[in-house]
Amino acid sequence: MSEISITIQTADRSKKAEVSLGVNSTGEDVLQAAISNWSLPTDTDYSLVNAVSGKTIKSNSSLRASFIRDGDVLEVQPVLVAG
Amino acid sequence: MERYLRQSLIDWFPQKKVQNCRIAIVGCGAIGNEVAKNLALMGIGSIDLFDFDSIEIHNLTKSVLFREEDVGCMKVEIIAFRLTELNPNISVKPHQGDFWDTLSLLQMNNYSCIIGCVDNFEARIRLNLMCKVAGCNFIDTGIDSKFVQVSIFPYKKNSSASCYECSLPNSVYARMQERYSCGWLRNLAFIEKKIPTTVITSSLAGSLAASQALQLIIEDKLKDSSRLFANSFTGETVISKIEKNNQCPCCADLKKTIVITSKNALIDNVVLNFSDKNQLIETSEPILISMRCVNCNPEHDAKIIFDRAEKFDSSHTVCPRCSFESVVFDIRDRFSVSELKEYFSGRRLQVKFIRVDSIDLTTIIEME
Repeated sequence: MSEISITIQTADRSKKAEVSLGVNSTGEDVLQAAISNWSLPTDTDYSLVNAVSGKTIKSNSSLRASFIRDGDVLEVQPVLVAG
Repeated sequence: MERYLRQSLIDWFPQKKVQNCRIAIVGCGAIGNEVAKNLALMGIGSIDLFDFDSIEIHNLTKSVLFREEDVGCMKVEIIAFRLTELNPNISVKPHQGDFWDTLSLLQMNNYSCIIGCVDNFEARIRLNLMCKVAGCNFIDTGIDSKFVQVSIFPYKKNSSASCYECSLPNSVYARMQERYSCGWLRNLAFIEKKIPTTVITSSLAGSLAASQALQLIIEDKLKDSSRLFANSFTGETVISKIEKNNQCPCCADLKKTIVITSKNALIDNVVLNFSDKNQLIETSEPILISMRCVNCNPEHDAKIIFDRAEKFDSSHTVCPRCSFESVVFDIRDRFSVSELKEYFSGRRLQVKFIRVDSIDLTTIIEME
């Protein structure tokens, strides 16, 4: 299987998309697509979390290596820096 | 004690352990205020506070322990004073200055955990590294105007637990580099982005962080690093396990780690620790070895500096003699023992620590 169907959403759930992606796409690819397509603020850093398995996804890892499966929900979370 | 009567009625509340433990709070801004208040009211026996900053008027909308008359005073001093007012039965120690200079790795063994309430990536990365090599539990907090993030790294129980940098996106490093020019000189033109927050997210972060600290006190069995991400508008929370990153810039190459202290930072003394002259030594901060104007001094030897690169800024790229931006620098954080001995004898290693790796051991030598 070379593609998986997943849901990608922002942390506030205001933006959500069901997409099919190649298993070799990386976490970074997903983040870049979300930032670009949803015009997310570019002065913020983001990380990706699999809301179904409850695991963070490394930006350099492929979706296959991150064990992402059909039906998973990937959440784009801002990396919070203020204290 | 009568003060804790109600808490002692809670069957899971470890009042005795709470009173006996020691916790450090690094960063005394909005979240630091909330964490400090919570720990003091719960009766944490010893609280150490670390911050270099003074109170500004805009801090007052988010900082429960600051008053208008405190503006201009040091944050650690005021918080220490107010905590002792809140609970005179605890011990509070203020440490004014950059924690990188005021918090020692050996001292970290005394803490049940360190709660990071800092406001930039660089400080988080440094604090994470210190906790990781010292084997001290680390709780990191972060907020914006809507979200709260609290991560827990149980390094005391599990020295190989994934670390803060394991899940940090590459974009953070690119953004951090904007603070510097010519590699590691502070870029004077860089303007730090101010992130607006409210007391709602800071108080939520303060509660969650104190709760996580309590978990570590109750049952020191946590083995995995995890992150709690909460939406303060809706209450929705996502808890995720932080996956180990084999390419992590902080922990991927760390082996079993030991920390020792060098009483004398003189290079001639430090190199005595190593019999192998080819041994590679990594410094905790990049060192500006030398600088030279290629315009005024194209042929001659460079001026030897041998000091922390972070003490210098982008203004040093302009030659004071010819006024051209023509000064070049040699900045490095790796040296061989023989190189240090031969070229830098008589100088001091002005760094927090040096790191030496062998096949199965990482040795950290902290400079006193």
